[in-house]
Amino acid sequence: MEPETSQFESSETLAAYLASTPLLEESWRLCGVANAAAQQSFAVNRVGTAAYVAFSGVQVVDCSEESCRGLAELEGGAAKGVFSVFSGGRAEGDQEPFMVHGGLLRLFLNFYYTQNFQHKMLEIMNECKSVIFTGHSLGGALASLSALWLLSVIQTTSLSIEVLCITYGSPMLGNKSFSQAILQERWCGNFCHVVGPHDLVPRLLFAPPSPFVEHFHALFHFWQSSMASSSPNSIQLDSLLSDEVKAEIFGNILACVEDRFRRGENQERGSFWPFGSYMFCTENGAICLDNRMAIVKMLYLMLAKGSANACVEDHLKYENYVGRICWQYLQRKSLTNVCFSESSNEAGIALALHSSGISFQEPVLYGVGKDCIVMARQLGCRRNIYTAKMAVSLSKVTPLRAQIEWYKAFCDNSDDQLGYYDSFKRRTASRKGSKVYMNLTRLGKFWDEVIHMLETNQLAHDFHKLVKYVNASQSYKLLVEPLEIAEYYRTEIHKKKGHYIENGREKRFRVFDKWWRDRKIGDEEGNPRSKFAGLTQDSCFWARVEEARDCVYCVVSEVDQGRELVLVDKIEKFEAYARGLIERKEVSVDVLAKNSSYSLFREEWKEVKARLQLLPPRFPVAMVREKF
Amino acid sequence: MMGGRLGENIGVGEETIEKACKVSMKAHSKPNYYIHDKNRVTFFAFPGSWSVNDWCSRKPFGEIKVDVSLFPSIKSIGNEEIGLVNQAFFTRFQHLLTRSSLSAEVEKAISDKKQIVFTGHSSGGPTAILATIWFFEKYTRHNYYNTPPFCLTFGSPLIGNHIFSHALRRENWARYFIHFIMKHDIVPRITLTPFTQIEQELQQVLEFLDPKSTHNLHGSSILSSFLFSVMRNALSVSSYAASYLKGNTNLLLETVASIVELSPYRPFGIFVFCTGRGKIVVLDNPDAVLQLMFFCLQFSPEEENSEFVHGMFREHLSYESELHESLNYMQDVTYLVNLVDVPLSAHSTSTYAAALNDLGLSTTARLCLRAAGELEKQKLENQKRIDSNKETIKEAITKIQEYKTSCEIRRIGYYDTFKIQKDQSDFNANIKRLELAGIWDEIVEMIKRYELPDGFEGRKEWIELGTLFRRLLEPLDIANYYRHLKNEDTGPYMVKARPKRYKFTQKWREHAEKMEVGFSSETTFWAEVEELRLKPYVQVKDKVSRLEERALTWINEGWLGKDVFLGESTFSKWWKTLPFEHRLGSCVAGFIST
Repeated sequence: MEPETSQFESSETLAAYLASTPLLEESWRLCGVANAAAQQSFAVNRVGTAAYVAFSGVQVVDCSEESCRGLAELEGGAAKGVFSVFSGGRAEGDQEPFMVHGGLLRLFLNFYYTQNFQHKMLEIMNECKSVIFTGHSLGGALASLSALWLLSVIQTTSLSIEVLCITYGSPMLGNKSFSQAILQERWCGNFCHVVGPHDLVPRLLFAPPSPFVEHFHALFHFWQSSMASSSPNSIQLDSLLSDEVKAEIFGNILACVEDRFRRGENQERGSFWPFGSYMFCTENGAICLDNRMAIVKMLYLMLAKGSANACVEDHLKYENYVGRICWQYLQRKSLTNVCFSESSNEAGIALALHSSGISFQEPVLYGVGKDCIVMARQLGCRRNIYTAKMAVSLSKVTPLRAQIEWYKAFCDNSDDQLGYYDSFKRRTASRKGSKVYMNLTRLGKFWDEVIHMLETNQLAHDFHKLVKYVNASQSYKLLVEPLEIAEYYRTEIHKKKGHYIENGREKRFRVFDKWWRDRKIGDEEGNPRSKFAGLTQDSCFWARVEEARDCVYCVVSEVDQGRELVLVDKIEKFEAYARGLIERKEVSVDVLAKNSSYSLFREEWKEVKARLQLLPPRFPVAMVREKF
Repeated sequence: MMGGRLGENIGVGEETIEKACKVSMKAHSKPNYYIHDKNRVTFFAFPGSWSVNDWCSRKPFGEIKVDVSLFPSIKSIGNEEIGLVNQAFFTRFQHLLTRSSLSAEVEKAISDKKQIVFTGHSSGGPTAILATIWFFEKYTRHNYYNTPPFCLTFGSPLIGNHIFSHALRRENWARYFIHFIMKHDIVPRITLTPFTQIEQELQQVLEFLDPKSTHNLHGSSILSSFLFSVMRNALSVSSYAASYLKGNTNLLLETVASIVELSPYRPFGIFVFCTGRGKIVVLDNPDAVLQLMFFCLQFSPEEENSEFVHGMFREHLSYESELHESLNYMQDVTYLVNLVDVPLSAHSTSTYAAALNDLGLSTTARLCLRAAGELEKQKLENQKRIDSNKETIKEAITKIQEYKTSCEIRRIGYYDTFKIQKDQSDFNANIKRLELAGIWDEIVEMIKRYELPDGFEGRKEWIELGTLFRRLLEPLDIANYYRHLKNEDTGPYMVKARPKRYKFTQKWREHAEKMEVGFSSETTFWAEVEELRLKPYVQVKDKVSRLEERALTWINEGWLGKDVFLGESTFSKWWKTLPFEHRLGSCVAGFIST
């Protein structure tokens, strides 16, 4: 059964909230300043403890190189290390790497590497509580990249500053993996792209650039000259583009957007995708959406109601939209032309679509628009419901964990002195063992589901920071990962796939490592332990033991001296590490069980070491082998 | 509140309301307060202030935490979120309390067995509100006086955050606060605006609103720019709240809220909106009132002229005449009880249609009212679902009780038996412990998010069940904690690991029984023992004696079982290692067999 969702449409309520704050007016004002007075640069303005940084829409994108005309990898070339969140992180599965528009990225990097930019940013980070990056047109893309850079910085340092990016008529920036990454980092709420109903620029990159490159140059020339000059329309577009060409461009873009909207999530590689939240402004009001697919639909629907002229002019009409928007909500509108039902759901949708400029008198568009906002809302509502349900699910799986704890105590006290890890690894068919194995699988499933839901944005945005789940995942990891390792080596998967830590470790454990690392740490008391820990504090300890044992076997048969030294070094490092853990009592008693893998390792290593030490150092190993 | 005359429904006679309005206007010319005795009623009316500094002491909103020694109930119990109050108004009230004869006069009214009414117009309202809360805390809560006071305000600004509404509803005091508001009166909305934005105009506007003044602002743009600021911020607060009511999940909402500070002030109590021409609309859902605070101000384009704006400001001074008409002649009262079903269309013919049109509510506004009603309904449904767990909880508790008894028969006590975890029965008890923890954690989670009705933490049956649960189960959580030596990973149980389900249930009891904080911490006895026994006696000498004294009290009260003294218990074994002199003088020596 579908979970119940809110019957109240609120995409417009959020837009009204945004409109009532000074954010739009302040940011747009500075955009105007930057367009006119800071061409090819940016302007900074402080309002209280907030800093506004506006990039001018008048920019030159160097498209001379092929790589700058379309998507380029975010973490390549000159951008390496700038967006730390994206470094090292591969997009999941067979997806594309994170990519953004090459020309825009290069433009941003030109700013980023200037002293002026670095200096101003440092000042803001030191002195302000929040920073609002903003920009009109191409300036919007620069603002997005700046915000992204600062968000990455915040994530990897202890810097605390609120970041918001408000763009006006900005082109799209990245591919689907990029959009997905923003979603997973829970940064959708840090980007608000204000889009006029018919503005061409935010839709431009839905179309392949090829046939109209020259005309686009003319269009940008027109837009940028209009932005830069104080008197509007000082430049006549007609002298640059004929009506036929404009109509052709409009038709082409509209067709491309429609195509994208019809294909849904299944897109060719190399497509641009919206990311973050969009605020669609019209003459009637505004709505805010954060669902990627709903945004694409809305971009299509609104353009479909435009015209060749409107789509060019709209890019310069943000003054009009921003200036009016607050007033629109202060007035009581008598909406006699909106079809109302007494159902909250229907009436809310009718109001939101009215604000989007879509009338119920156009049944086809209205139907599409309705589907679009309903779908977006349902996904959002489920997030809250699922978060609440997760607490209940967690308490349901807790007894499974208790059974495993019980099993551990049983193993650790057992006469065979194998300890927890080895008992499970060498278990014979028994009811107890298979029950634990089943619990293992169920717990793994539960946590995989949690991670899946979190990544697909179905849980609360700060879910991975809630103490409850951080602690629960940590104790799950410490208790269960040794068993996963045991199962891995028991079934000898390592012989096919390689060792556990590098090749067999489930993603969930890496995720939990990160949660645990990123948690807020209070004033922990650093008292030394008096007894061995309940659970070994390094959940990969047993995998390290297995690797070390493997090294010991290899040493024996290794002929190359260099490689042998590497192995010995590796073993000794582990030995020292393990000794440290034991001295600090950070391991559980099962490590020290007489017949545990660790005890075996120590014996084996002692023996091999003794043999190695019989020989003088640097003696050719090949000869040693012959002697044996 | 289901229809009929206003007085019958809110518990105050029309005559009293009218009188209160009259004396609160009269009070403006008095320095501290004005007392009026009539029949069995004593009115305490407080004057307003027209100086900016009495409205806002700090930018942007001038709020502080309430003084918990004066207002111990103005908080959420489990979450321990303390109410926020406007500092300027609070200070004014404190001065009045300490520097005038107010409390003596109140005592006198009490000894005369009078019905007490605190009242105030404009910024006299906040003083009346705070005096009423003070009275409830000081007299009603301790059952010193059984006639609850009434608080009647007329055009009072908002002075407290959402905790006020939460706490007053929980204590069942909310219905004694009755706020009258003219539909367009700007004053109740002023504190929704950051002081920084209206600094320029506020002094002039206050002078203009002072009933004693003749300050004329005709033809000045001050009023409309002031109105614009106030409306805009009322829109901010109400649309932010509405986004929440409607379940908006866009993260942009929180990002914006973290950058643009919103006013903390929210309505509480019953609101009576006067819509003009003698008509009245009454409602008590604070979320819905907040929405009306904005939507009633919305104007149509034809109203956009200075004459209209001027008229809006004048409404602040017309309470007496308006109420005279509506209470005596019209009695056209609508009670907005069933918000979930308010009609959306202005052309509807249903019950509330006329009232909503009189308030001037657009469809958007009506949807917000519905959302507010829906949230309230949802909270009640949540409570129903939680209530259905009661039997399951009781059954599980019985099982643990049996476990406890069976352990005592073996002379070890269930704390230590559980800590050893040797038998199947220990394991079963552990599973029951985890099941119960799951149920209670869900309750706590909902309280944290304010997803249950405001009264939940004051419900006797749950406070009792919570105490029973805590006394029986917390020792097992502590045993589990120290069995796994989690104290060495994370720190002492009390500091680092005590689950909220025990903290909350303890606070419920302590609040209900008006105990000091920590007075009912009998369930953490074992955690204290575990920590103390790790340390050398000389270091913790005083703490040991203190624990023994407290344990004795708890044992005598029956809050703590004598099983803690069984021969094989962790406590007894440790106690026997204490120095002889200590044991000799110990107050629990008699309980421990040697």
